[in-house]
Amino acid sequence: MKNNNCIELKAIDKNYQKGQNLIKVLTDFNLTIKQGEFIALMGPSGLGKSTLLHLIGGLDQPSSGQVIIGDKRIDSLSERQLTRWRADNIGFVFQSHHLLPVISAQANVELPLALTPLNRKQQKQHAATALDLVGMASRASHLPNELSGGQEQRVAIARAIVTDPDILLCDEPTGNLDRKTAEEILALLAKLNKDFGKTIVMVTHDLKAADYASRVINLEQYMTGIEETDNGFSQLVEAEVGVAL
Amino acid sequence: MSYLLKLVWLNSWRNKTRFFLTCLCITVAFFLFTSLAAVNHALNVNVSSINQYRLMTNHKVSITRSLAVNYQQKIAALEGVKAVTYASWFGGYFQSEKNQLAVTAVEHQSYFTLFDEYQIPSEQLTRWQNTRTGVIIGQGIADKYGWKVGDQIPLSSSIWMNKQGSFSWQFVVSAIYQTSDSSVDDKRVFFQHAYFDKARAYAKYMVSWLSTSINQSADVEQVSALIDQNFANSNAPTRTVTEQVFIKEQTQQFVDMAMVIKVVLIAVFSTLLLIVCNTMMQISRERIHESAMMKALGFSSNKLIIQVYLESLFLLVLGAFSGSLLAGISLQFIKQSFAEFLPGIAIASQHYLVVFVVVVIAAIISSLFPALAIKRLVISKTLGAIA
Repeated sequence: MKNNNCIELKAIDKNYQKGQNLIKVLTDFNLTIKQGEFIALMGPSGLGKSTLLHLIGGLDQPSSGQVIIGDKRIDSLSERQLTRWRADNIGFVFQSHHLLPVISAQANVELPLALTPLNRKQQKQHAATALDLVGMASRASHLPNELSGGQEQRVAIARAIVTDPDILLCDEPTGNLDRKTAEEILALLAKLNKDFGKTIVMVTHDLKAADYASRVINLEQYMTGIEETDNGFSQLVEAEVGVAL
Repeated sequence: MSYLLKLVWLNSWRNKTRFFLTCLCITVAFFLFTSLAAVNHALNVNVSSINQYRLMTNHKVSITRSLAVNYQQKIAALEGVKAVTYASWFGGYFQSEKNQLAVTAVEHQSYFTLFDEYQIPSEQLTRWQNTRTGVIIGQGIADKYGWKVGDQIPLSSSIWMNKQGSFSWQFVVSAIYQTSDSSVDDKRVFFQHAYFDKARAYAKYMVSWLSTSINQSADVEQVSALIDQNFANSNAPTRTVTEQVFIKEQTQQFVDMAMVIKVVLIAVFSTLLLIVCNTMMQISRERIHESAMMKALGFSSNKLIIQVYLESLFLLVLGAFSGSLLAGISLQFIKQSFAEFLPGIAIASQHYLVVFVVVVIAAIISSLFPALAIKRLVISKTLGAIA
């Protein structure tokens, strides 16, 4: 990356056609996220939080404007180029883990590595390391249906980080979890951000979840020019994962 | 590639009941396909293996009406004719009408010169020619009833009564013929027409048909027309066709097998395609979130389509293999039961190539809709716009 800006959204318009109505989700939207930031995107439903996440992840294209990730404009890439780019640069964690039920946790984590030039032995090593990092090494051989919700989400996080992407995009990662498990997952994300420098953009409705972020963007307020920052997440991370920031 | 094959294998067994039921449908379809193809093969091979320079002459009205034996000399005198022989249908059965046999009375000096596909040891042929009540039997019939040369065998006819007023005829086995071609029936029985004429109660010196071999330089159509012209104004006008045409017509009198096979196959494969298409679409719908996630991870649409295609191919290959195998096994039994009526029932090697092509095409068609769904899949919509 040539500059410190990891993600830049410039003059983004995003409209959806619903029947004969044109729904404007984002209008002249600008956002800059620096490398190593942990962003919590908050706000009421329907405001475009997930849309924003999908635009950053190359899952959707803006109606107009520029999406620049690192030093690459991804809004002008073809579907094929975007697919390749996603595999190399982005890790996704969704509310529902979407693990393949027929293969073990280890095999699920190895899946994105099938697109890399790594050999089988290296793939296994990388997947084992990722699982170890999320505290799931002992459950590597288990099928997803043999794991709890929190464990499944941990495996999904391992799958998201196994290719060592710079950016992790998390769409309500704790939405389906109980409070205790949710906090474990959030602490894990904070650890990935702090220890491994991952840039994390997380969509959440959970105020407690937002406490783990280095910057909270309330989309409703952001669009009107007010941005919330510094919510004391350092202390929280220290308390949860024992890492002093 | 290994991850792809692993996923195809594991995903195939995900819903075992559906997999087995779909596979069973495919198995039944290919069982029918292979069985009918074997019957069709028997019909075609019997026709195509016949010497095309052999003509069959029978009564113009019906094969059940007889011709005078002196037609042999008249036909032999025609230009282009090499040799003429004659035969009459005896029918016949052994002990019970359930044990039907293809028994034919033939002109004993010339018949096996024309029909050289029956391999008879020369000393046995000579013995038969010198034995008035002798029969030549096929190796298949000898094996079936344990008959050997010298055995006395009683055969009954439901058509022909002998001079003693009985329908039971006494014969002695004089020769056993072999065949090197699987399309030649090895369960036939031949006896002397001279004995038939002498012993039967009626229709003396009448024959069912005449077989003519022509010179290779002669024109088949021309000689056939010449024979028929020769008897056009007689009491028994004739119809002469090549043996290939004759056998084809006889078969088609009962049923146009080729047409039946086509209709059945179209019905079977249309149903099969609908079933497999439906299954693959169901599978695709069930796994739409997984497909979206894999696309989000960086797997291209083409990779996911290949996965669906391989899964469909695996299902079809398994079903086609089981169906063909079952047909192969059951044909061994069918072959024995139908040998008298339809020799040459077998699965031609080209049939497996046809099965392969059908499987590949069916897999392509059945993965077409899932492929379109994958191509059109919008990851953001499928994985859900939550906020």
